[in-house]
Amino acid sequence: MSDWRHWQTAFLQQARCDWDAYQRTRQAAWPSCHRLLFLQMATEKLSKALLVGGHSKLETIAQSHAAFVNFMRVVGDNRKLQEALGMKKAQLRARFKRLLPLAYEIELLAPALARGGPNPEYPWQDSSDKILAPVAYPFPLMNQLQKTPQGVQLLKYLEIFILRFEEFFI
Amino acid sequence: MSQNHNIINATENLIQEHFDLEPSLEKVIWVNPELSTEVRLLEINPETFPSGMVQSFYFPASDEIPCAMFLAEVRPEEWQRILRNEIPLPEGWTLANHKIYSREPVAV
Repeated sequence: MSDWRHWQTAFLQQARCDWDAYQRTRQAAWPSCHRLLFLQMATEKLSKALLVGGHSKLETIAQSHAAFVNFMRVVGDNRKLQEALGMKKAQLRARFKRLLPLAYEIELLAPALARGGPNPEYPWQDSSDKILAPVAYPFPLMNQLQKTPQGVQLLKYLEIFILRFEEFFI
Repeated sequence: MSQNHNIINATENLIQEHFDLEPSLEKVIWVNPELSTEVRLLEINPETFPSGMVQSFYFPASDEIPCAMFLAEVRPEEWQRILRNEIPLPEGWTLANHKIYSREPVAV
């Protein structure tokens, strides 16, 4: 197995572990911050599992938390995915394009991309100088993911990408 | 028809399809088109999220492109930075022999 395949396997393994943790937090009254932290980490590792096979240097991949939106922008080109989901490329790209705003919200949860604003890990100061802890913040994104068609779809596709990665992406 | 001709035709069809599907797509750069084992495409699109790097995603061979494909999207300003060597290309990618495809002007 080549070196990048080992890295891909490791990124995928971690994405699955993060996704499993996200699923477990559904069963109890876990705070939104922890749920979203696991979700953001799962999406980042998933995207990097695909990126690592794409000639990018590992240190380049590691230095950024922004990968999920770009993953969602191009993944509709995957032929096996089109066949499995029963959609033509144009349909699949259009479907995923509608999910990009939510994907962007998830990507921005990474503290390095949150620009000193709401994130699931560290306290921040809002525009009225109030200091907030993630655990005390309601995170409207959580509701959008659970209660809008786009949110439900995005989570469904994420599960497919993560659990059936070998089928589509290798 | 040779394998190379198949890849050239398939890739150019794919590029045209991307222009059709993505109204904001400005240019497609076919990097190292001399390669017969893989296709490397860099798409210039102002709607792409700026990452400050070239994120090249791998696609396995399919009936559409009969070899591995690597697809990356960058914003126009990131493309300018690539040309100034301020943003590196992925490993092994060079602009020594690339092809640029632009959108066909639409007749009014």
